[in-house]
Parts: sequence; C-alpha cells; structure tokens
Amino acid sequence: MKTLDWEPKIVAFLCHWCSYAGADLAGVSRMQYPPNVRVIRVPCSGAINPLYIFKALREGADGVLVSGCHPGDCHYISGNYYARRKFMVMKNLLEWLGFEPERVQFSWVSASEGQKFSQVVEEVVESVRSLGPARKMIKEFSFDVRR
Amino acid sequence: MYEDKIRKIAWDLLEKGNVDFIIGWEKGSLPFLTAPLICRDVAETERLVWNPFCANNLARYLKYYKGGKEKIALCVKGCDARAVSVLLREEQIERERLVLIGLPCHGLINPKKLLENFPDITPGEVEWEEGILRIRGKEENIVHLLEGSCTRCRYPDPPIHDFLVGEKLGEGYAESSEVEDMLEYYDKMSTEEREEFFAREMERCIRCYACRNACPLCYCQECFAESTRPSWVSPAPLAFDNLLFQLGRTMHMAGRCVECGACGRSCPVEIPIDILPEKVAESIRKEFGFESGLDTGETAPLLTYREDDQEDFIK
Repeated sequence: MKTLDWEPKIVAFLCHWCSYAGADLAGVSRMQYPPNVRVIRVPCSGAINPLYIFKALREGADGVLVSGCHPGDCHYISGNYYARRKFMVMKNLLEWLGFEPERVQFSWVSASEGQKFSQVVEEVVESVRSLGPARKMIKEFSFDVRR
Repeated sequence: MYEDKIRKIAWDLLEKGNVDFIIGWEKGSLPFLTAPLICRDVAETERLVWNPFCANNLARYLKYYKGGKEKIALCVKGCDARAVSVLLREEQIERERLVLIGLPCHGLINPKKLLENFPDITPGEVEWEEGILRIRGKEENIVHLLEGSCTRCRYPDPPIHDFLVGEKLGEGYAESSEVEDMLEYYDKMSTEEREEFFAREMERCIRCYACRNACPLCYCQECFAESTRPSWVSPAPLAFDNLLFQLGRTMHMAGRCVECGACGRSCPVEIPIDILPEKVAESIRKEFGFESGLDTGETAPLLTYREDDQEDFIK
C-alpha cells in the first residue's frame, strides 16, 4: 500500500469567517504550504457535524483538519465554544477506540493568520505523512469483510 | 409481592379511567426473556410481570405516542425513568400524559451468564421475590449474573415517579466492591487490544439497527444511517461503516445517554455495543460533572459551554 509516490490526502473544514479567510490570506501573500489539503468551507466550526469528519475518513481521507475562529472571535458569538466541547468528546472517544490522534486535528486560525495557517497545514501534513496511509479500521477492515 | 402491587395499581388506573393503557412487561415466549405488554383492558393486567429479566427500556415506546392525547401509564426502572426525564426535557412527551409506576431495580440478570453458571436451568427453578433471588430453592447473590450496564448502575431508584413499588435502594452497584464495573474491563485493555477488539466485533455486526430501535432516546424521523442524500455510511454491513454507524449513534447520545444498556442487550450477535455510549457518558460525567436524566433542570453539556473549557488538543 505504502508507495514512494503516496501523498497524504487531508480534508480541511475551514470556517468561513476566520480560517477560510486565513487560508486566503496565505494564498494571496504567496506563502508556500503543502498542496495536500482539500479545503471545504463551512459557515462556522460549530456547524461541523462529527458525521462530516467520519464521512471524510470513510471516503479515503488520510487526515482531517478542522479549523475555526479563536475563542471569543466567533462571528456567531459562540459557535466555536460549542464546537470545542463537541470535538473534545469526539476526540476522547476516537482515541479510546484506537484511532491515531493525528488523523483528526483541530486548530484556531484567525483571518489575519496566514502564516499560522500555512504552519498548521505543514504540521498536519507531516504528522499524517509519518503515519502513512489511513489503514487502521478503514481500508484493511472493509476489505476483510469481502473475503 | 411487588408484581401484585403493580397489577393492583394498573387495575385501579384502568378501572378509574385515569389512563388509556399501561405499558409493562409480560412473560416472554422464550425462557428468561420478557416481552413488552400494552394493556388496554383490566383483564390484561394479570399478565404483567416484574423480575430481573425485564430488559426492555419501556421509555422507548413513548415515541410512538408523541403528539397524541392518550394518557399512558408506564412501568419504569431507574434507568427507564431517567430516559423518560430526558424525553420530557426534550419535549417529546408531556408530563401530564404520563403516570409513572416506579420500580426500584436490583439489577437485570444476563440470561447467558445465568446459563453459564447454572447449566440446564429451567425458568421454573428461578424464583425472584422482593429483591431476593432463589435458584433451585437456594438463595443466590445476583451480582455475578448482572448485565453489563447494571454493574455500573448509579441510580437504581427512578428519579421521577408517581407510584413507587417496593423500597428505595439508594445506591447502585457502581459503588459496590463486589461487582466489577463492565467499563473497567475495557479500560484496562491496551489501546491496540481495544482497537483489535472493536475491529473484530464490528465485523460481526449485521446492521439490523436493533441497538437504535431499542434505544429510548433515538427518535429521529430519519436516521443518519438510512439517509441516502447524503449517504453518511454504507447500508452494507462493512466493518468500518458499522463502526461509523456506532460512532454517529454514540455522538448523538453524548450528554443524553442514561446508560440503561438497552442497545447492548438488544444485539442479536451479542456485541457489547452499549460500552460506547457509556464511555462517552462517563467522560462527560468526569469532564462536565453532568449526569443525564436526573431531572435537575441543568442544561445538557453539549448545549452549553464555558469560556474556560479544556482546549489543549486544539492548535
């Protein structure tokens, strides 16, 4: 499975008001960051249903990045506070079940932090690259069933 | 006899016309099983039973009467009453329409464990009366036969009820040193062992949705698992999709699950699936100090927030 030309696929859910603008800023400022992320714009980090993350993993993403506004800066006042609780519960559960914690990562990136965005993407891509293709409980086991 | 008291209460309620029907348990068609019973006629109240095999969480049936006018009397164990309390909080049913017959619960017996410990046992040899279990005439301790979720029971008494049949028990088995907590067994595993365990269990799942259908708090009109646009999980019972279905279900239960274990008991291939929502319920209890279904008027933990919530996992 692991081949030389394998590149990690990362799905990034970015909130419209901060992180998406942060990614845009990184782009217009000509900052370099790995092209492994596929960005999906969502209205708010609070709008991210855990099912979105599961679906991304199911469809073959090697990692998922979720990014929203810093606490207190949410365009909708409190969306990211709710998201924080939800993600914490979800992350604890996934880790307890043996998912590698690097597969699903979270960050706060504001609209002015183009630099931070490119840094976060670099870190996420590198950590997923060192894990290798998503196999645990994903491809391996779905193939097992068809045997 | 508690059963007689329940029948008496049920009889009176129906006779006076205080309720339209009673939901309880009756003897099942197989040994050591009970089936839910809905009695609309006083004569049927004779069939009501109450014993440690009453595994169904009857709060489940309230969803079918949502928006109606009928008054319902419901037999509730501790966990059933907590589920009713969550349904009331989520405005799925009106309190005025309910009469709750509270039954302090000594724990449910797992029929499989019973047969392991007492091979060739027949239903006639098991007697249960007012919290005392007699097998073949000899008094036995129930703690070795308990269902998984009952080993971590904290509220054997119904927190809300209109009638109470029997004595309040106070503490559940969670505090008892005699009983090994089901979740501890899985917590003790290494992460790799646990991962392998779940991978193996998920391969056995046949996706019958019995766990969802047994859950008193799963009342979505359309379940995400059966939604086709978008399709969140494949309808085929592939191991990873089975796991994602359970994860999705567990996330829906976060902060709501009353740890009744009805999902695990309903599983036809005996996957202990109740440990996932119970694990989340435990982490929520530790993290936010919240326990679901206790009628305290507290906001559910995922519907509120604190500015100083933990965020060391976020970059």
